[in-house]
Amino acid sequence: MTPQTEQALVDSVPADSPNGVSAGTQPDVMLEVRNLKTYYPIYGGILRRRIGSVFAVDDVSLTISRGERYGLVGESGCGKTTLGRTILRLEKATGGSVTLDGEDLLAIRRSQLHRMRRKMQIIFQDPYGSLNPRMPVSDIIGEGLIAQADRENGWSKRAVRDKRVGDYLEAVGLRRDYSRRYPHEFSGGQRQRIGIARALSLGPEFVVCDEPVSALDVSIQSQILNLLSDLRTQFNLTYLFIAHNLSVVQYFCERIGVMYLGKIVEVAETDVLYGNPLHPYSVALLSAIPIPDPRQRKKRLVLKGDVPSPANPPSGCRFHTRCWLRERLGNPAECSTTEPPLRTFQSGHQVACHFAEQVSADVVQETAAKQDVIETAAAEPD
Amino acid sequence: MDESTAAPEVRVVESPAALEQLLAEHPDYDVQLESLNQWQLAWRRFKRHRMAMVGSAMFLTMVAVGIFGPMIWSYNYYNVPLPDQFVHAGRPPMLSPFHPFGETMLLQRDVFTLVVNGIRLSLLIGVLATVIATTIGTFIGSVAGYFGGFLDTVLMRIVDALLSLPLLFLILVFSRFLGAGSWVTVTLIFALFGWMSIARLVRSVVLSLREADWVDAARAAGVSDMRIIFRHVLPNALSPIIVAASLSVAGVIIGEAFVSFLGYGVNPSTPTLGNILSGAQDALTEGNWWWAFFPGMAIVIIVMGINFMGDGLQDALDPRAKI
Repeated sequence: MTPQTEQALVDSVPADSPNGVSAGTQPDVMLEVRNLKTYYPIYGGILRRRIGSVFAVDDVSLTISRGERYGLVGESGCGKTTLGRTILRLEKATGGSVTLDGEDLLAIRRSQLHRMRRKMQIIFQDPYGSLNPRMPVSDIIGEGLIAQADRENGWSKRAVRDKRVGDYLEAVGLRRDYSRRYPHEFSGGQRQRIGIARALSLGPEFVVCDEPVSALDVSIQSQILNLLSDLRTQFNLTYLFIAHNLSVVQYFCERIGVMYLGKIVEVAETDVLYGNPLHPYSVALLSAIPIPDPRQRKKRLVLKGDVPSPANPPSGCRFHTRCWLRERLGNPAECSTTEPPLRTFQSGHQVACHFAEQVSADVVQETAAKQDVIETAAAEPD
Repeated sequence: MDESTAAPEVRVVESPAALEQLLAEHPDYDVQLESLNQWQLAWRRFKRHRMAMVGSAMFLTMVAVGIFGPMIWSYNYYNVPLPDQFVHAGRPPMLSPFHPFGETMLLQRDVFTLVVNGIRLSLLIGVLATVIATTIGTFIGSVAGYFGGFLDTVLMRIVDALLSLPLLFLILVFSRFLGAGSWVTVTLIFALFGWMSIARLVRSVVLSLREADWVDAARAAGVSDMRIIFRHVLPNALSPIIVAASLSVAGVIIGEAFVSFLGYGVNPSTPTLGNILSGAQDALTEGNWWWAFFPGMAIVIIVMGINFMGDGLQDALDPRAKI
């Protein structure tokens, strides 16, 4: 496939995906990521010269509509967090472009970027590491307000700031007077709420949620997810929701991108992806979701081997070293020589696999049955 | 809180036992938990650290002597009062009622006055040199650690180079050529060659702190680098800095004593604990032990006090410690 057609496919990313904004109006694009690359240098040798790169994010393109909840899933180390951080310019991009609300974040001047930071915020995974232990909550949330203060908003004034801090504490379900307390006086869930209040206090439109519930108790997870959901309607937010918990993403997101080794391998609406995954990796990933019923047996599609090193990714399709479909098809040469582009199937379902047409429920079941490793959800029931 | 008409009477109790007692007397009292910040918690832990309290008492006593002592027993090298009785070796403590620490040999100066003034100057040099060295070291270390890259490499190679120079030799040479004998020179020399270890310490702490999520949160909000360093990173690096600084005071006092003892330090006209000792060298063989003993004890008390205090600070400032 030529670069032109590849680009054309990227261009054809549908803008008609579901979104929380009123139906009928044409949903506009909140975030457009084009061919984004984030490489980290590896230094070695006596002279500490650059001897290679870690391809953390490698040529990723995605589009998020205003009001959408876009989920990003993938196993540890696949680059999903790096992608989120690169979009916010917390990490230096090696190439590509990130357009937020019509502004190219990677080309923008420093002063403009500083202003754009109001529009984009981040919620962190670790509720313990994300709050400065030496600061009371009023300062934790107020720091951003001070940094973004201007004549219009008057955030440089203590009274204005305190009121806003209190308002946002209430918005995330905490008491106003908690603002005088220190982080160590709060539970994990409360701390996460403070982190959310900090992100929202600047009035962002786009929020990267970097595994916001992974570090929390299951009971707290649902509270935080519901809170994020409510806040989205209240403040018209657009989320890039990074997670590795597939059930959480299924519950929370409208559209999902699956990442493997720095690349997006499949993008689809939630129901489509969970009902009919077309990339062999997504199939394996989804079959790994545990069923909360010990009596129900389930054949899982188990991938062989480990994730290859992102410093030395496999040629062609990055998944070909572990791909069950390739094995089934008799190891076609295409897999290891040609990098598969994201191809669009019906209703914006995009898959980066040469043989996505071959994937179906029957094939998956057959393959799982043939596996020598038999994995069941739990011990043998009587 | 908002609808309170009259200001309520507020009593603060610190322990559960005290609270119980208060509630037994006044069962109608409302109880509210007031949160302590990190420093209040650290102070609590410090207060319970016995050695730290002993050490602080020792150190603070010496500081008080150093501050107030010279006001009463001022030392004038050009106006040494004539002794009421000439004794070549000077009189020992017991035999000289107005000289509790005895007299020096030959000039029969009052050792007590010397020591009191020596404590003042030694402490001044120790604290001043430490303050300057810590400021330089903290700044350089935090800049190197936070920005990393080329700047870090350059700054740390400078630190390595300076650390590889023999400090004692440098101090001797410098004090000889930069206005030898003045305590200001000695202070500056110790400050200019004492910041490297602090810089390394601060760099290593900042290196790990800059990866913290809260630093990223600040960067995502557009907080400036300098503000992140001073408001977010350094306050969290403060505990090791405080501990290192307190121990450095002791190091400088000993170092000054050493250099003065060799005769390259502060002039005997302005007594420091070191140059008093230096003067006492010959007197020891004549049996005049008190000339050396009392300034020596002063050094021991100061340095030991600081070391105990530093130990306690280390424990108290550890945020993982309980209560």
